[in-house]
Amino acid sequence: MNKGFSIDCIGYALFAVFVVLIIPWSANYSGYDLNVYARYLVLGMAAAAVALSWGTAGILNLGQALTFGIGSYIMAMHLKLKASGAQAGGMPDFMVWTNMEKLPWFWEPFQSVSFTLAAGILVPVAIASLIGGFMFRGRITGVFVAIITLSFMLAVQLWIISEQRFTGGQNGLTGLATLELFDWSVDVYGLAFYYMVAGCLLVVLTLGLLFLRSKAGLVLRAIKADPERTRFFGYDVSTYEIVAFAISAGIAGIAGMLYAMILGFASPTYMGLSLSLAFVIWAAVGGRESIVAATLGGIGVNMAEGRLSDLFFDQWTLILGVIFIVVVLFLPRGLFGLVMDLRIKLESHFMANPISRMNTSLDKHRSETTASQREGK
Amino acid sequence: MKRRDLLKGVAFAGVAGATGLGGFPGIWTGRNAAWAAGSDIPVGVLFSKTGAVAVVESTLHDACMMAIEEINDNGGINGRKIRPFVEDPASDPATFADRANRLVRRDKVVSIFGSYTSSSRQAVLPVVEGQNNLYWYPTLYEGRECSRNVMYGGAVPNQQQQDYVPWLKEKFGGRFYLLGNNYVYPREENNVARKILKGIGGEVVNEEYVPMGHDSFSSIVSQLRRDKPDVIFCTLVGDSDVAFQREYHNAGLDPKTMPVASLTRSEIEVKAIGGKAAAGHFSSAPYFMGHQSAENKKFVEAYLKKYGQDQVTHFVNEAAYFQVYQFKNAVERIGSGELTPSAIRDAAVGQRFMAPQGEIEIADNLHTYLWPKIGQWQANGQAKVLVDSKSRIAPEPYWAYEGQKCTAEGLQES
Amino acid sequence: MYSWLNEIFIGLSLTSILLIIALGLAIIYGTMGVINLAHGQFVMIGAYVAWFLQSQFGIGIIVGLPLIFIAGALLGLVIERTIIQRLYRSPLDTILATWGIGIVLEQLVRGLFGSDSRYVARSEFLDGNLILAGIHMSYYRLFIIGFALFTLAVTWFLLFRTEFGTKLRAVIQNKEISECYGVSANRVYAMTFAYGAGLAAIAGALITPMVSVTPTMGTKVVVDAFLVVIVGGVGSIAGTAAAALMIGEASAWLSYLLNETTARILILLGVIVLIRFRPQGLFPNKVRR
Repeated sequence: MNKGFSIDCIGYALFAVFVVLIIPWSANYSGYDLNVYARYLVLGMAAAAVALSWGTAGILNLGQALTFGIGSYIMAMHLKLKASGAQAGGMPDFMVWTNMEKLPWFWEPFQSVSFTLAAGILVPVAIASLIGGFMFRGRITGVFVAIITLSFMLAVQLWIISEQRFTGGQNGLTGLATLELFDWSVDVYGLAFYYMVAGCLLVVLTLGLLFLRSKAGLVLRAIKADPERTRFFGYDVSTYEIVAFAISAGIAGIAGMLYAMILGFASPTYMGLSLSLAFVIWAAVGGRESIVAATLGGIGVNMAEGRLSDLFFDQWTLILGVIFIVVVLFLPRGLFGLVMDLRIKLESHFMANPISRMNTSLDKHRSETTASQREGK
Repeated sequence: MKRRDLLKGVAFAGVAGATGLGGFPGIWTGRNAAWAAGSDIPVGVLFSKTGAVAVVESTLHDACMMAIEEINDNGGINGRKIRPFVEDPASDPATFADRANRLVRRDKVVSIFGSYTSSSRQAVLPVVEGQNNLYWYPTLYEGRECSRNVMYGGAVPNQQQQDYVPWLKEKFGGRFYLLGNNYVYPREENNVARKILKGIGGEVVNEEYVPMGHDSFSSIVSQLRRDKPDVIFCTLVGDSDVAFQREYHNAGLDPKTMPVASLTRSEIEVKAIGGKAAAGHFSSAPYFMGHQSAENKKFVEAYLKKYGQDQVTHFVNEAAYFQVYQFKNAVERIGSGELTPSAIRDAAVGQRFMAPQGEIEIADNLHTYLWPKIGQWQANGQAKVLVDSKSRIAPEPYWAYEGQKCTAEGLQES
Repeated sequence: MYSWLNEIFIGLSLTSILLIIALGLAIIYGTMGVINLAHGQFVMIGAYVAWFLQSQFGIGIIVGLPLIFIAGALLGLVIERTIIQRLYRSPLDTILATWGIGIVLEQLVRGLFGSDSRYVARSEFLDGNLILAGIHMSYYRLFIIGFALFTLAVTWFLLFRTEFGTKLRAVIQNKEISECYGVSANRVYAMTFAYGAGLAAIAGALITPMVSVTPTMGTKVVVDAFLVVIVGGVGSIAGTAAAALMIGEASAWLSYLLNETTARILILLGVIVLIRFRPQGLFPNKVRR
């Protein structure tokens, strides 16, 4: 898959330029707009998380918002404790209102920044590993994975909403302090924070690309194409699936932590079906097979929404629904697929050597056949 | 190889560039113009038009906009028109906070009118406090809050429950079943109700909370049949209130022996419930649509004319309406001074205004003196006022909490 | 004892509502493997048509049912012909596409009728309660239980005693061979989808007196319907009925013993465990796909 990888590299480099230079310039380097762009980057990261397990391994995780939400709650718990220092027993205000007597034990460790940062990645990974193990060891695939992940997410969301005294309930966690990382007070409307987010995104994408480029990534693609055959080759399919699932969850967890900082609150709304499906659609629009494309999909759709929802206040949701349908019907591989097809067409036109032209069209035929096999998933 | 790389690169640059183009602010005009001093006054209008409580909040939006248009049609404030920035936070507290942030930081409003549920107010609170803006909150709420950045136009528990609970006990008995949605408002109101009941020898038979928007009450009705309380003390909001009352009616329960005494039910919910199902039950509120006064006649006529004869006014959209006028009076008082949210707040204190319910006054703790009433719903969808207050009642958000008082300097502990 | 019987009745009532809503989804899923996340919106549209008929023409719910069925079926037919039929090979894509359709339908209804809660009255003759053995059974809920059984019977009859049903079952078992026998699979799919949508619309109309009619009411029901269908098993009516019964009774009992939210959480967890160990559902049809 050399071609795929080279494309990703170039695309990635251009993407990095876009993210690091062009966006901040267009927002005048500070203020509300920059914060909004940071938000788009984070949502793009979540789309990339979905694409990693879906596009590569064929695992559609309809509960990605769960790991995202847990990441955001973890960060919010730490920041809430920080803001509640003056209150009785260091308890957040909603605990006072719900007549709690002291801070529950599972809140205590979040006083520490390092614990929070570690937990924000490890807790989603742990949860995903457990659920993944539960599912994949039983050789559950396809639709049933989607349903189990969805149900589990709903169950957790319901629990969070109902246990108001532990979690703030429907309100979520609001009134958060600003994060202090090694003596740096993070201003989420500032340029430094934007670069931190961009940096996280680029690092995550790099690691993701390296993972996908590795043997593990190759095995995952094999699993997506035909799990039975991969099993016959002696690979432990379920372990690979669990790993991919867990990595996606970790990425979503990081995204969630950043999101809590950007918004200034965490809420069970961001742990629901609509957000999960939104992640999936962004990945679908960008192109589920490439995590860079999926990120662009996430950024692009949200950017469009940000601009257009002001102009078409009432109709934006309707337009979004139509986009969903159109993308699924006519662009199953997303914009990335469109670009790939274009590339092949351009190449075969400009080939000087007839043998190369023939090779290219053979390549095209091969990739189209495997693509249509993949469509079965 | 080189040509292929070039083609790949061009293809991706195209996609990246196209997306980037979306980000250039200059392409999409409109929102970024800064407001010149001396021109329009920017305010935020933050009421949900979709979602679980849209049934009520959309009417708040309507009343607020009607007031703004009336003021603008009469020449604005000191010659300056009010420019409203309307947002739809979709009944979700997270979205409320998000949109409030946008209104304050991007649109640079000097005040925001918004919120029905306490959760949404609590979500907005850090935003307006952090940015020192001003939030005009028209809805009754549970008290126990004393922010210097919120103008509270609705009733607090002492204004709503102080006379209501004893009256209910006297008429029906002291065994109360407390039913509400699962968030801070019902929980706090129930805390206050418990305290009052304890003082007068009443008893709480059961306390039940359901999620927001929950609409399936058959099990609750079973519990009611089992527990047989004297009064159902109800703090359900929106769709839940409608669904519960319908279920009660379908189950054949009797309002003469087990009435639903609501704090939140208004003409809006009764309209959605249907007059027959709502008849015989009670609400405590500062305002009912049938209230006889010159201001109310004018208000109701204008509202029905603008929004349709089948609409109703109620105690929350009456507050949404009068708060805009309170805002206007405060800005007028500032005159040519600098128009900031803090200046508006300071100018608003002590102000009196002839609202549709009667003459109200803004207390120095930023709450409002109101005229509470107890009404019984009739089959025609209107409330018959059974008990009226003789004078306007002072708001005390910490009435049930010893040693705490909300004053002009904020919360005072003693 | 009285409260036990009462809870059983409530459970049956919930079951019947779930069953009518889920039956349409189950048939669609069983036949075509399509998971129609827009099913909730068909329910919502049925409710709105009921409201529309009642407020504009004074037609009651019961009388209006045939019209509502046809309206739902027509809508389903249109959607199937334009969108769904292109997606039969990829079930995951149908989830996404139908979610999009659901959003579009919801927004269209909101644009036409606003977000206000609409009120639909029960038919008068169904007001009141039957009091038996100390439990109060609302006539309306009894009617729905009866109607659910009726719908189940009609569907069974349709599947096992009519020519269309035979064709449908043939296509479920093996599409290619059926087509060799001259059965037009496309037409069967279209009719099935229409039937499922029509059922959903009827369900929506029937529940209107008990819930608020708003554009968002669909999303609340679709997850429950989904769970019933998956637990019941692919292509099995008996499975759907059994699953609806299990979930309905479990909801009633758990809500009574604990509370509504915990009940729901436990049911979701139960479904997860069930799917893990028995993904084919309770009463699966043995088919070759």
